[in-house]
Amino acid sequence: MKDINLSERLGLVAYRNQGRSRAEPHILVDTSICNSVCPHHCTTYVCPAECYKYDQEGQVFFQFEDCIECGTCMYACDQGAVTWTYPDPEVGRGVTWNFG
Amino acid sequence: MEEKFDCIIVGGGIAGLSAAMVLARGGARFLLIERGEFAGSKNVSGGVLWGTDLARLVPEYWTDADGFERFVRHRRLTFMDEASAFSLDFKSAHFDEPPYAGLIVLRARFDQWLAGKVEEAIAESEHPDGSFLATSILVEEVVRREGRVTGIRAGDETFYADVVILAEGVNNLLTRQVGLQDDYVPADHIMIGIKEVLRFDRARLEDRYQLHGLAGLSNEFVGYCSRGVEGGGFLYTNRESVSIGLVLGVKDLREKGLKPYDILNDFKNHPAVADMLRDGEEVEYSAHTVSSGDMRVMPREIYADGLLVAGEAANLLINAGKAIQGMDYAMRSGILAAEAVLDAKQKADFSKEILASYRAALEESFVMKDIRSFQGAVELLHDPMMYQTLPEMICDFGREFFTIQSRPTPKTREMLRETIKDRASYWSLIKLAYNASRSL
Repeated sequence: MKDINLSERLGLVAYRNQGRSRAEPHILVDTSICNSVCPHHCTTYVCPAECYKYDQEGQVFFQFEDCIECGTCMYACDQGAVTWTYPDPEVGRGVTWNFG
Repeated sequence: MEEKFDCIIVGGGIAGLSAAMVLARGGARFLLIERGEFAGSKNVSGGVLWGTDLARLVPEYWTDADGFERFVRHRRLTFMDEASAFSLDFKSAHFDEPPYAGLIVLRARFDQWLAGKVEEAIAESEHPDGSFLATSILVEEVVRREGRVTGIRAGDETFYADVVILAEGVNNLLTRQVGLQDDYVPADHIMIGIKEVLRFDRARLEDRYQLHGLAGLSNEFVGYCSRGVEGGGFLYTNRESVSIGLVLGVKDLREKGLKPYDILNDFKNHPAVADMLRDGEEVEYSAHTVSSGDMRVMPREIYADGLLVAGEAANLLINAGKAIQGMDYAMRSGILAAEAVLDAKQKADFSKEILASYRAALEESFVMKDIRSFQGAVELLHDPMMYQTLPEMICDFGREFFTIQSRPTPKTREMLRETIKDRASYWSLIKLAYNASRSL
């Protein structure tokens, strides 16, 4: 069986307010912490939706759009960079599981 | 004056819905608030709902079998190394009779079904127009007055109640807000569950897994599947799909620098697992955190003036190696929380002194008894010896034992000795056996 890659996986996820042009982020990340004092940048690999990535300069940046609300980054980040809340049902993103 | 409910329940998962069912039957007026589009739409589990409490909540639920996928008739625990799988396998017709002791569920379906049963109970209750299940509402704040909880706020609206039950799940932001848990919960006792649902043609699925009717397989895995990270794997058969996934320690993942979906790929490509998954079509990818069952991650207390905490918001969960239990704890704690509310309502006293009866009842139940008595097992499963060395050793032994070559075969005792020598010291094994016999 061929491995399914992450973007194919995320393509299977039903997100709320997918049609909205702009959605309110529900997680705020102070990436200045990631890019200064953090020794591990763990969010770039523990996040199962790869919401944390490196840009071309090697700096960590965060995009909330693919977030599946698992909560992992809120525990994994021990540097105080992640402020985690639940998405607003009307103006936020977040998931609606079909199977769960 | 604002309308006041007897109880507000935050969260339409298993704990919240179980509480709602008991409140509806007990004649209380309540408001259950769920942030998802429907109950279950935000929820993920492996998952098997163990135990028989569902039959208490929904008598003869099996006559209307739309809620669950299959009942567990066949159990298997598989130890793996890179190339091999050595299983303990138990299948029994003793598991065939309802009430079943294990139900394989998909939460988006199960919770929605249970919510439907709660709606029915409300319609038949003393207050058919006084209790509500409200969806797509996010509770942002627990409202307090003079130190006691009086309601909740969602957006611009505040709702009041004598008691609020927080059944918000493991990411328990409101439980933290009221100070029952620290704002930052470290990764030490938190795991990430990552899962895929693979669809199959039903006849093919039943042939491949040797299932008939609604009988199903629950298979847990330990060893290679987690690639050296603390945790293990699972595979459950649904009606027309298979749930396959991993539960991995977040702290260990951070330290080892691995991506959870890479580990999932390796697990799926293991020769024994690939054979089970061939031709399955991925239809959903999901993930959710879950507590490890270590009591150190529990809230400081699970009741306060006008407040109760149930289910995984209270981190009620255990993995003692035999099964991952959480949904059954959610169900029982939801039931007991609602019973405490009914008792307080009768006494017209919602102080923490009265609501403490919830804690006492939970301590008396299998939930806290098991959580307390299996803390040693949680600790033991933390040990790389358990999730790495032992599975490898078992597979080494299996390969020796089941290999017949055209040369003199050593006695089994000899094989065992050789296997152990390669992987561990006798002393470490004796220590392990001693700890295991005490904690499992």
